[in-house]
Amino acid sequence: MTRNTIGEHLLQNGVSRRAFLKYCTAMASLMALPPTMGRAMAETLRAARRPSVIYHSFQECTGCLESFTRSFSPSVESLMFNVISLDYQDTLMAAAGHRAEEARAQAMKDNDGEYLLIIDGSIPTGDGGVYGAAGGQSYVNMLKEAGKGAAAVICVGTCSSFGGIPMAHPNPTGARPVSEIISGKPIVNISGCPPVPEVITGTLFQYVSMGKLPELDTLGRPKVFFGNSIHDRCYRRPFYDAGKFAKTFDDEGARNGWCLYELGCKGPTTYNACATVKWNGATSFPIESGHGCIGCSEPNFWDKGSFYAPLSSAAFGASGNVSPREAAKLVGAAAVVGGAIGLGAAAISRKRQETLAGAAPDKKGG
Amino acid sequence: MTLRLADIGVRVDPGYGLGGGVTAVLHEIATRLERLADTGEFDIIDLRSLPLSPADRDRLQSVLGTGEVEATVKIDGESKVRETGIAGVWWIEHRDADGVVIADLLEIARVPEILNVAQDELGRGAAALRARIARGGNQAIQEAP
Repeated sequence: MTRNTIGEHLLQNGVSRRAFLKYCTAMASLMALPPTMGRAMAETLRAARRPSVIYHSFQECTGCLESFTRSFSPSVESLMFNVISLDYQDTLMAAAGHRAEEARAQAMKDNDGEYLLIIDGSIPTGDGGVYGAAGGQSYVNMLKEAGKGAAAVICVGTCSSFGGIPMAHPNPTGARPVSEIISGKPIVNISGCPPVPEVITGTLFQYVSMGKLPELDTLGRPKVFFGNSIHDRCYRRPFYDAGKFAKTFDDEGARNGWCLYELGCKGPTTYNACATVKWNGATSFPIESGHGCIGCSEPNFWDKGSFYAPLSSAAFGASGNVSPREAAKLVGAAAVVGGAIGLGAAAISRKRQETLAGAAPDKKGG
Repeated sequence: MTLRLADIGVRVDPGYGLGGGVTAVLHEIATRLERLADTGEFDIIDLRSLPLSPADRDRLQSVLGTGEVEATVKIDGESKVRETGIAGVWWIEHRDADGVVIADLLEIARVPEILNVAQDELGRGAAALRARIARGGNQAIQEAP
Protein backbone atom coordinates (compact mmCIF):
# COMPACT_ATOMS: atom_id res chain seq x y z
CA MET A 1 0.00 0.00 0.00
CA THR A 2 1.46 3.35 -1.02
CA ARG A 3 1.32 6.11 1.51
CA ASN A 4 2.27 9.75 1.14
CA THR A 5 5.61 10.79 2.51
CA ILE A 6 5.36 12.55 5.84
CA GLY A 7 6.45 15.79 4.15
CA GLU A 8 3.63 15.54 1.60
CA HIS A 9 1.15 14.63 4.31
CA LEU A 10 2.18 17.61 6.45
CA LEU A 11 1.94 19.97 3.50
CA GLN A 12 -1.58 18.75 2.71
CA ASN A 13 -2.53 19.39 6.34
CA GLY A 14 -1.09 22.89 6.40
CA VAL A 15 1.93 22.08 8.59
CA SER A 16 4.81 24.25 7.39
CA ARG A 17 8.43 23.23 7.08
CA ARG A 18 9.30 25.64 9.90
CA ALA A 19 6.71 24.08 12.23
CA PHE A 20 8.15 20.67 11.50
CA LEU A 21 11.72 21.86 12.00
CA LYS A 22 10.73 23.33 15.37
CA TYR A 23 9.06 20.07 16.34
CA CYS A 24 12.13 18.01 15.41
CA THR A 25 14.49 20.44 17.16
CA ALA A 26 12.47 20.11 20.37
CA MET A 27 12.51 16.33 20.03
CA ALA A 28 16.29 16.26 19.58
CA SER A 29 16.64 18.42 22.69
CA LEU A 30 14.29 16.15 24.65
CA MET A 31 16.22 13.05 23.64
CA ALA A 32 19.58 14.69 24.40
CA LEU A 33 20.67 14.11 20.81
CA PRO A 34 23.20 16.43 19.18
CA PRO A 35 21.13 19.55 18.37
CA THR A 36 22.07 19.46 14.69
CA MET A 37 20.15 16.15 14.58
CA GLY A 38 16.92 18.14 14.68
CA ARG A 39 17.56 19.42 11.17
CA ALA A 40 18.68 15.98 9.95
CA MET A 41 15.61 14.35 11.51
CA ALA A 42 13.34 16.90 9.84
CA GLU A 43 14.89 16.13 6.44
CA THR A 44 14.65 12.35 6.91
CA LEU A 45 11.09 12.52 8.18
CA ARG A 46 9.87 14.68 5.31
CA ALA A 47 11.00 11.98 2.87
CA ALA A 48 9.85 9.04 5.03
CA ARG A 49 6.48 7.30 4.80
CA ARG A 50 4.29 7.04 7.87
CA PRO A 51 4.65 3.53 9.23
CA SER A 52 1.57 1.50 10.02
CA VAL A 53 1.26 0.89 13.75
CA ILE A 54 -0.84 -1.84 15.37
CA TYR A 55 -1.29 -1.31 19.10
CA HIS A 56 -2.56 -4.18 21.26
CA SER A 57 -3.51 -3.90 24.93
CA PHE A 58 -3.46 -7.24 26.73
CA GLN A 59 -3.32 -7.96 30.48
CA GLU A 60 -3.09 -4.35 31.64
CA CYS A 61 -4.83 -1.51 33.46
CA THR A 62 -4.86 1.02 30.57
CA GLY A 63 -2.44 3.20 32.54
CA CYS A 64 0.13 2.96 29.76
CA LEU A 65 -2.36 4.17 27.15
CA GLU A 66 -3.46 6.93 29.53
CA SER A 67 0.18 7.95 29.82
CA PHE A 68 0.72 7.75 26.04
CA THR A 69 -2.19 10.14 25.43
CA ARG A 70 -0.69 12.66 27.88
CA SER A 71 2.51 13.27 26.00
CA PHE A 72 3.09 17.01 25.67
CA SER A 73 5.99 17.10 23.25
CA PRO A 74 5.37 15.48 20.88
CA SER A 75 1.66 15.32 21.57
CA VAL A 76 0.01 12.03 20.78
CA GLU A 77 -2.31 13.66 18.25
CA SER A 78 0.57 15.23 16.34
CA LEU A 79 2.32 11.87 16.36
CA MET A 80 -0.80 9.98 15.24
CA PHE A 81 -1.82 12.44 12.56
CA ASN A 82 1.61 13.35 11.23
CA VAL A 83 4.27 10.74 11.96
CA ILE A 84 2.61 7.33 12.27
CA SER A 85 -0.54 5.72 10.94
CA LEU A 86 -2.24 4.17 13.98
CA ASP A 87 -4.28 1.51 12.21
CA TYR A 88 -5.43 -0.44 15.27
CA GLN A 89 -5.89 0.50 18.91
CA ASP A 90 -9.16 -0.83 20.21
CA THR A 91 -9.64 1.88 22.87
CA LEU A 92 -8.81 4.89 20.68
CA MET A 93 -10.24 3.82 17.31
CA ALA A 94 -13.76 4.71 16.25
CA ALA A 95 -14.47 1.24 14.86
CA ALA A 96 -15.52 -1.56 17.20
CA GLY A 97 -16.26 -5.26 17.03
CA HIS A 98 -15.66 -7.09 13.75
CA ARG A 99 -14.99 -3.86 11.88
CA ALA A 100 -12.06 -3.12 14.21
CA GLU A 101 -10.73 -6.67 13.75
CA GLU A 102 -11.08 -6.28 9.96
CA ALA A 103 -9.06 -3.05 10.12
CA ARG A 104 -6.35 -4.92 12.04
CA ALA A 105 -6.27 -7.79 9.53
CA GLN A 106 -6.17 -5.35 6.60
CA ALA A 107 -3.32 -3.32 8.13
CA MET A 108 -1.33 -6.51 8.78
CA LYS A 109 -1.88 -7.69 5.19
CA ASP A 110 -1.10 -4.34 3.54
CA ASN A 111 2.04 -3.71 5.60
CA ASP A 112 3.36 -7.22 6.03
CA GLY A 113 6.90 -7.16 7.39
CA GLU A 114 6.83 -3.38 7.82
CA TYR A 115 4.38 -2.46 10.55
CA LEU A 116 5.32 -1.60 14.10
CA LEU A 117 3.61 -3.69 16.75
CA ILE A 118 3.08 -1.96 20.10
CA ILE A 119 2.10 -4.10 23.06
CA ASP A 120 1.05 -2.99 26.49
CA GLY A 121 0.16 -5.52 29.16
CA SER A 122 1.59 -8.92 29.88
CA ILE A 123 0.34 -12.08 28.19
CA PRO A 124 -1.50 -14.69 30.23
CA THR A 125 -0.29 -18.13 29.16
CA GLY A 126 -1.69 -20.30 31.96
CA ASP A 127 -4.30 -22.96 31.11
CA GLY A 128 -3.87 -22.47 27.37
CA GLY A 129 -4.15 -18.67 27.59
CA VAL A 130 -7.82 -18.65 28.65
CA TYR A 131 -7.37 -15.70 31.04
CA GLY A 132 -7.31 -13.10 28.29
CA ALA A 133 -9.15 -13.04 24.97
CA ALA A 134 -10.67 -10.60 22.47
CA GLY A 135 -12.57 -11.17 19.24
CA GLY A 136 -12.71 -14.90 20.01
CA GLN A 137 -8.93 -15.23 20.11
CA SER A 138 -6.62 -15.61 23.10
CA TYR A 139 -4.12 -12.82 23.72
CA VAL A 140 -1.22 -15.20 23.33
CA ASN A 141 -2.44 -16.24 19.86
CA MET A 142 -3.15 -12.63 18.88
CA LEU A 143 0.39 -11.70 19.83
CA LYS A 144 1.91 -14.59 17.90
CA GLU A 145 -0.19 -13.78 14.83
CA ALA A 146 0.54 -10.04 14.90
CA GLY A 147 4.21 -10.63 15.72
CA LYS A 148 4.85 -12.65 12.52
CA GLY A 149 4.58 -9.71 10.13
CA ALA A 150 5.95 -6.96 12.40
CA ALA A 151 9.16 -5.11 11.61
CA ALA A 152 9.70 -4.66 15.34
CA VAL A 153 7.81 -4.97 18.60
CA ILE A 154 7.67 -2.03 21.01
CA CYS A 155 6.70 -3.07 24.54
CA VAL A 156 5.07 -0.17 26.34
CA GLY A 157 5.10 -0.56 30.11
CA THR A 158 6.65 -2.91 32.63
CA CYS A 159 3.95 -5.59 32.07
CA SER A 160 4.75 -6.24 28.41
CA SER A 161 8.48 -5.58 28.99
CA PHE A 162 9.08 -7.71 32.09
CA GLY A 163 5.72 -9.21 33.17
CA GLY A 164 4.92 -6.44 35.66
CA ILE A 165 2.19 -6.70 38.26
CA PRO A 166 0.25 -9.57 36.57
CA MET A 167 3.42 -11.69 36.79
CA ALA A 168 3.96 -10.82 40.47
CA HIS A 169 3.83 -13.72 42.90
CA PRO A 170 1.82 -15.95 42.75
CA ASN A 171 1.14 -15.13 39.09
CA PRO A 172 -2.19 -16.96 38.87
CA THR A 173 -2.64 -16.43 35.12
CA GLY A 174 0.84 -17.52 34.04
CA ALA A 175 1.60 -13.97 32.85
CA ARG A 176 4.70 -13.59 30.65
CA PRO A 177 6.48 -10.67 28.99
CA VAL A 178 6.50 -10.35 25.18
CA SER A 179 10.17 -11.37 24.99
CA GLU A 180 9.28 -14.87 26.26
CA ILE A 181 6.75 -15.40 23.48
CA ILE A 182 8.09 -13.56 20.42
CA SER A 183 11.48 -14.52 19.03
CA GLY A 184 13.40 -13.49 15.95
CA LYS A 185 12.09 -9.90 15.98
CA PRO A 186 13.70 -6.76 17.38
CA ILE A 187 12.02 -5.95 20.71
CA VAL A 188 12.27 -2.58 22.44
CA ASN A 189 11.19 -2.36 26.09
CA ILE A 190 9.85 0.99 27.28
CA SER A 191 9.33 0.03 30.89
CA GLY A 192 7.62 1.98 33.65
CA CYS A 193 4.32 1.63 35.45
CA PRO A 194 3.36 3.56 33.44
CA PRO A 195 6.26 4.78 31.27
CA VAL A 196 6.96 8.52 31.00
CA PRO A 197 4.68 9.74 28.14
CA GLU A 198 7.48 11.49 26.22
CA VAL A 199 9.64 8.37 26.46
CA ILE A 200 6.94 6.43 24.58
CA THR A 201 6.34 9.05 21.91
CA GLY A 202 10.04 9.99 21.75
CA THR A 203 11.06 6.39 21.04
CA LEU A 204 8.47 6.09 18.27
CA PHE A 205 9.52 9.43 16.85
CA GLN A 206 13.17 8.43 16.90
CA TYR A 207 12.39 5.15 15.09
CA VAL A 208 10.57 6.93 12.29
CA SER A 209 12.93 9.88 12.01
CA MET A 210 16.16 7.91 12.06
CA GLY A 211 14.86 4.83 10.27
CA LYS A 212 16.21 2.45 12.87
CA LEU A 213 15.61 1.30 16.39
CA PRO A 214 17.46 3.14 19.16
CA GLU A 215 20.49 1.73 20.93
CA LEU A 216 19.32 -0.49 23.81
CA ASP A 217 20.61 -1.37 27.27
CA THR A 218 20.97 -4.94 28.55
CA LEU A 219 17.26 -5.06 29.37
CA GLY A 220 16.28 -3.94 25.87
CA ARG A 221 15.47 -0.35 26.85
CA PRO A 222 16.48 2.74 24.81
CA LYS A 223 19.73 3.99 26.33
CA VAL A 224 18.86 7.57 25.52
CA PHE A 225 16.08 7.44 28.13
CA PHE A 226 17.23 4.60 30.41
CA GLY A 227 20.98 5.24 30.45
CA ASN A 228 21.08 6.94 33.86
CA SER A 229 19.70 5.95 37.23
CA ILE A 230 17.09 8.15 38.88
CA HIS A 231 19.61 8.65 41.70
CA ASP A 232 22.33 9.92 39.34
CA ARG A 233 20.06 12.60 37.89
CA CYS A 234 18.10 13.41 41.06
CA TYR A 235 18.12 17.02 42.22
CA ARG A 236 18.23 15.67 45.83
CA ARG A 237 21.51 13.84 45.14
CA PRO A 238 23.67 16.52 46.87
CA PHE A 239 21.82 15.71 50.14
CA TYR A 240 22.64 12.01 49.72
CA ASP A 241 26.29 12.90 49.18
CA ALA A 242 26.21 15.13 52.27
CA GLY A 243 24.56 12.37 54.34
CA LYS A 244 21.34 14.31 54.92
CA PHE A 245 18.31 12.01 54.92
CA ALA A 246 14.64 12.46 55.73
CA LYS A 247 13.69 9.92 58.41
CA THR A 248 9.93 10.30 58.16
CA PHE A 249 7.64 11.92 55.61
CA ASP A 250 6.93 14.90 57.86
CA ASP A 251 10.21 15.61 59.64
CA GLU A 252 12.52 18.56 59.18
CA GLY A 253 14.57 16.69 56.56
CA ALA A 254 11.47 15.94 54.48
CA ARG A 255 10.40 19.59 54.68
CA ASN A 256 13.88 20.69 53.60
CA GLY A 257 13.91 18.38 50.59
CA TRP A 258 16.60 15.99 51.86
CA CYS A 259 17.31 12.61 50.31
CA LEU A 260 14.51 9.99 50.60
CA TYR A 261 16.86 6.97 50.56
CA GLU A 262 16.07 5.92 54.14
CA LEU A 263 12.35 6.15 53.39
CA GLY A 264 12.75 3.45 50.76
CA CYS A 265 13.59 5.40 47.60
CA LYS A 266 14.67 2.94 44.88
CA GLY A 267 16.33 5.66 42.78
CA PRO A 268 19.85 4.16 43.05
CA THR A 269 18.79 0.90 41.35
CA THR A 270 16.21 2.30 38.95
CA TYR A 271 16.95 3.43 35.41
CA ASN A 272 14.48 5.81 33.81
CA ALA A 273 14.05 9.40 32.63
CA CYS A 274 11.69 10.61 35.40
CA ALA A 275 14.28 12.95 36.92
CA THR A 276 15.10 14.61 33.60
CA VAL A 277 12.05 14.44 31.31
CA LYS A 278 9.66 14.48 34.32
CA TRP A 279 5.85 14.21 34.13
CA ASN A 280 2.85 16.34 33.16
CA GLY A 281 4.73 18.54 30.72
CA ALA A 282 7.95 18.52 32.77
CA THR A 283 6.12 19.79 35.87
CA SER A 284 7.52 17.37 38.44
CA PHE A 285 8.27 13.74 39.27
CA PRO A 286 7.51 11.59 42.34
CA ILE A 287 10.67 12.49 44.29
CA GLU A 288 10.03 16.18 43.63
CA SER A 289 6.56 15.64 45.12
CA GLY A 290 8.10 14.16 48.28
CA HIS A 291 7.79 10.40 47.68
CA GLY A 292 10.63 8.01 46.96
CA CYS A 293 10.99 6.20 43.64
CA ILE A 294 9.29 2.76 43.75
CA GLY A 295 11.49 1.36 40.98
CA CYS A 296 8.59 0.62 38.62
CA SER A 297 10.72 0.44 35.47
CA GLU A 298 12.79 -2.47 36.76
CA PRO A 299 11.92 -6.18 36.43
CA ASN A 300 9.98 -7.75 39.35
CA PHE A 301 9.61 -4.39 41.12
CA TRP A 302 6.42 -5.58 42.82
CA ASP A 303 8.18 -8.54 44.48
CA LYS A 304 11.23 -6.76 45.84
CA GLY A 305 9.88 -6.02 49.29
CA SER A 306 8.37 -2.89 50.77
CA PHE A 307 8.46 0.39 48.85
CA TYR A 308 9.25 1.97 52.23
CA ALA A 309 12.24 -0.18 53.28
CA PRO A 310 15.66 1.25 52.45
CA LEU A 311 17.50 -0.58 49.68
CA SER A 312 20.20 -1.81 52.04
CA SER A 313 17.61 -3.80 53.97
CA ALA A 314 15.35 -4.76 51.10
CA ALA A 315 16.76 -8.26 50.52
CA PHE A 316 16.22 -9.63 54.00
CA GLY A 317 14.02 -6.91 55.36
CA ALA A 318 15.30 -4.96 58.34
CA SER A 319 11.69 -4.84 59.35
CA GLY A 320 10.94 -8.34 58.16
CA ASN A 321 10.08 -7.33 54.58
CA VAL A 322 11.01 -10.53 52.77
CA SER A 323 9.00 -10.68 49.58
CA PRO A 324 7.20 -13.98 48.90
CA ARG A 325 9.20 -14.42 45.70
CA GLU A 326 12.55 -13.75 47.40
CA ALA A 327 11.63 -16.12 50.19
CA ALA A 328 10.54 -18.76 47.68
CA LYS A 329 13.89 -18.40 45.88
CA LEU A 330 15.78 -18.74 49.15
CA VAL A 331 13.79 -21.77 50.22
CA GLY A 332 14.18 -23.34 46.77
CA ALA A 333 17.95 -22.85 46.85
CA ALA A 334 18.08 -24.25 50.34
CA ALA A 335 16.29 -27.41 49.27
CA VAL A 336 18.94 -28.01 46.61
CA VAL A 337 22.00 -27.21 48.69
CA GLY A 338 20.95 -29.02 51.79
CA GLY A 339 19.57 -28.95 55.24
CA ALA A 340 22.11 -26.59 56.77
CA ILE A 341 21.09 -23.72 54.51
CA GLY A 342 17.50 -24.83 54.90
CA LEU A 343 17.82 -23.84 58.50
CA GLY A 344 18.75 -20.35 57.29
CA ALA A 345 15.58 -20.15 55.22
CA ALA A 346 13.62 -21.34 58.20
CA ALA A 347 15.23 -18.61 60.26
CA ILE A 348 14.14 -16.01 57.71
CA SER A 349 10.67 -17.44 57.75
CA ARG A 350 10.70 -17.38 61.56
CA LYS A 351 11.90 -13.79 61.60
CA ARG A 352 9.12 -12.80 59.23
CA GLN A 353 6.56 -14.56 61.40
CA GLU A 354 7.91 -12.83 64.49
CA THR A 355 7.72 -9.47 62.74
CA LEU A 356 4.17 -10.11 61.60
CA ALA A 357 3.26 -11.23 65.12
CA GLY A 358 4.90 -8.11 66.53
CA ALA A 359 2.99 -5.89 64.11
CA ALA A 360 -0.35 -7.56 64.88
CA PRO A 361 -2.52 -6.49 67.81
CA ASP A 362 -1.74 -8.37 70.99
CA LYS A 363 -4.41 -11.09 71.05
CA LYS A 364 -3.57 -12.21 74.54
CA GLY A 365 -4.07 -8.78 75.89
CA GLY A 366 -7.20 -8.20 73.83
CA MET B 1 33.25 33.09 69.59
CA THR B 2 31.70 34.64 66.52
CA LEU B 3 31.89 32.52 63.38
CA ARG B 4 33.39 34.39 60.46
CA LEU B 5 33.05 33.52 56.79
CA ALA B 6 36.76 32.63 56.65
CA ASP B 7 36.24 30.03 59.39
CA ILE B 8 33.94 27.95 57.20
CA GLY B 9 36.05 25.24 55.65
CA VAL B 10 34.38 25.32 52.23
CA ARG B 11 35.81 27.21 49.32
CA VAL B 12 34.23 27.89 45.95
CA ASP B 13 36.69 27.29 43.16
CA PRO B 14 36.30 30.32 40.89
CA GLY B 15 37.29 28.24 37.88
CA TYR B 16 34.54 25.70 38.39
CA GLY B 17 30.86 25.95 39.16
CA LEU B 18 30.51 29.71 39.11
CA GLY B 19 31.26 30.75 35.59
CA GLY B 20 33.77 28.05 34.62
CA GLY B 21 31.18 26.45 32.37
CA VAL B 22 30.44 29.77 30.69
CA THR B 23 34.08 30.25 29.70
CA ALA B 24 34.10 26.78 28.16
CA VAL B 25 30.91 27.51 26.19
CA LEU B 26 32.35 30.80 24.96
CA HIS B 27 35.49 29.04 23.70
CA GLU B 28 33.29 26.46 22.00
CA ILE B 29 31.24 29.17 20.28
CA ALA B 30 34.44 30.87 19.07
CA THR B 31 35.77 27.59 17.64
CA ARG B 32 32.52 26.85 15.83
CA LEU B 33 32.33 30.40 14.52
CA GLU B 34 35.82 30.03 13.04
CA ARG B 35 34.74 26.77 11.41
CA LEU B 36 31.66 28.49 9.95
CA ALA B 37 33.91 31.17 8.49
CA ASP B 38 36.36 28.59 7.04
CA THR B 39 34.02 25.88 5.78
CA GLY B 40 30.48 27.30 5.90
CA GLU B 41 29.47 24.53 8.30
CA PHE B 42 26.69 25.59 10.67
CA ASP B 43 26.39 24.32 14.24
CA ILE B 44 23.97 24.37 17.17
CA ILE B 45 24.55 24.28 20.93
CA ASP B 46 21.70 22.99 23.11
CA LEU B 47 21.83 25.17 26.22
CA ARG B 48 19.44 22.92 28.14
CA SER B 49 21.93 20.07 27.92
CA LEU B 50 24.57 22.13 29.74
CA PRO B 51 24.70 22.51 33.54
CA LEU B 52 24.32 26.31 33.54
CA SER B 53 22.86 28.13 36.52
CA PRO B 54 20.65 31.21 35.97
CA ALA B 55 23.70 33.33 36.88
CA ASP B 56 25.77 31.49 34.23
CA ARG B 57 23.12 32.20 31.60
CA ASP B 58 23.08 35.88 32.52
CA ARG B 59 26.85 36.00 32.17
CA LEU B 60 26.73 34.20 28.83
CA GLN B 61 24.09 36.65 27.65
CA SER B 62 26.07 39.68 28.78
CA VAL B 63 29.28 38.50 27.09
CA LEU B 64 27.50 37.72 23.79
CA GLY B 65 25.51 40.97 23.88
CA THR B 66 22.60 42.01 21.72
CA GLY B 67 22.61 42.32 17.94
CA GLU B 68 20.43 44.11 15.41
CA VAL B 69 17.92 41.42 14.47
CA GLU B 70 15.07 40.02 16.50
CA ALA B 71 12.38 37.82 14.95
CA THR B 72 9.30 36.07 16.28
CA VAL B 73 8.12 32.90 14.54
CA LYS B 74 4.51 32.11 15.40
CA ILE B 75 3.94 28.41 14.83
CA ASP B 76 2.32 26.23 17.49
CA GLY B 77 3.65 28.64 20.15
CA GLU B 78 6.17 31.43 19.74
CA SER B 79 9.83 31.10 18.84
CA LYS B 80 12.15 34.02 19.49
CA VAL B 81 15.19 34.38 17.29
CA ARG B 82 17.67 36.98 18.50
CA GLU B 83 20.95 37.93 16.90
CA THR B 84 23.62 38.31 19.56
CA GLY B 85 26.27 41.02 19.45
CA ILE B 86 28.58 38.47 17.82
CA ALA B 87 27.82 38.19 14.11
CA GLY B 88 26.79 34.65 13.20
CA VAL B 89 25.70 33.68 16.73
CA TRP B 90 21.92 33.49 17.20
CA TRP B 91 20.03 32.81 20.43
CA ILE B 92 16.86 30.81 19.69
CA GLU B 93 14.14 29.95 22.17
CA HIS B 94 11.26 27.71 21.09
CA ARG B 95 8.07 27.64 23.18
CA ASP B 96 5.05 25.40 22.75
CA ALA B 97 1.44 26.57 22.57
CA ASP B 98 1.30 26.72 26.39
CA GLY B 99 4.37 28.96 26.56
CA VAL B 100 6.66 26.22 27.91
CA VAL B 101 10.26 26.39 26.66
CA ILE B 102 10.84 23.27 24.54
CA ALA B 103 14.26 24.16 23.15
CA ASP B 104 16.90 26.77 24.04
CA LEU B 105 19.66 26.95 21.48
CA LEU B 106 22.62 28.91 20.21
CA GLU B 107 22.81 28.52 16.43
CA ILE B 108 26.07 29.41 14.74
CA ALA B 109 25.06 30.21 11.16
CA ARG B 110 24.74 33.03 8.66
CA VAL B 111 20.95 32.81 8.93
CA PRO B 112 19.13 30.45 11.34
CA GLU B 113 17.44 27.58 9.55
CA ILE B 114 14.07 28.44 11.09
CA LEU B 115 14.12 31.77 9.21
CA ASN B 116 15.43 30.36 5.94
CA VAL B 117 13.26 29.43 2.97
CA ALA B 118 13.80 26.00 1.40
CA GLN B 119 14.31 25.48 -2.33
CA ASP B 120 11.02 23.59 -2.82
CA GLU B 121 9.14 26.35 -1.00
CA LEU B 122 10.34 28.90 -3.56
CA GLY B 123 8.72 26.92 -6.40
CA ARG B 124 5.47 26.50 -4.49
CA GLY B 125 5.50 30.18 -3.56
CA ALA B 126 5.84 31.25 -7.20
CA ALA B 127 2.99 28.92 -8.23
CA ALA B 128 0.75 30.25 -5.43
CA LEU B 129 1.44 33.84 -6.46
CA ARG B 130 0.67 33.06 -10.13
CA ALA B 131 -2.64 31.55 -9.04
CA ARG B 132 -3.51 34.62 -6.99
CA ILE B 133 -2.67 36.92 -9.91
CA ALA B 134 -4.90 34.80 -12.16
CA ARG B 135 -7.76 35.25 -9.71
CA GLY B 136 -7.37 39.00 -9.78
CA GLY B 137 -5.03 39.30 -6.80
CA ASN B 138 -7.84 39.78 -4.30
CA GLN B 139 -7.52 36.64 -2.17
CA ALA B 140 -3.96 36.88 -1.08
CA ILE B 141 -4.24 37.42 2.63
CA GLN B 142 -6.56 34.57 3.56
CA GLU B 143 -4.64 31.80 1.84
CA ALA B 144 -2.12 29.56 3.48
CA PRO B 145 1.45 30.06 2.24
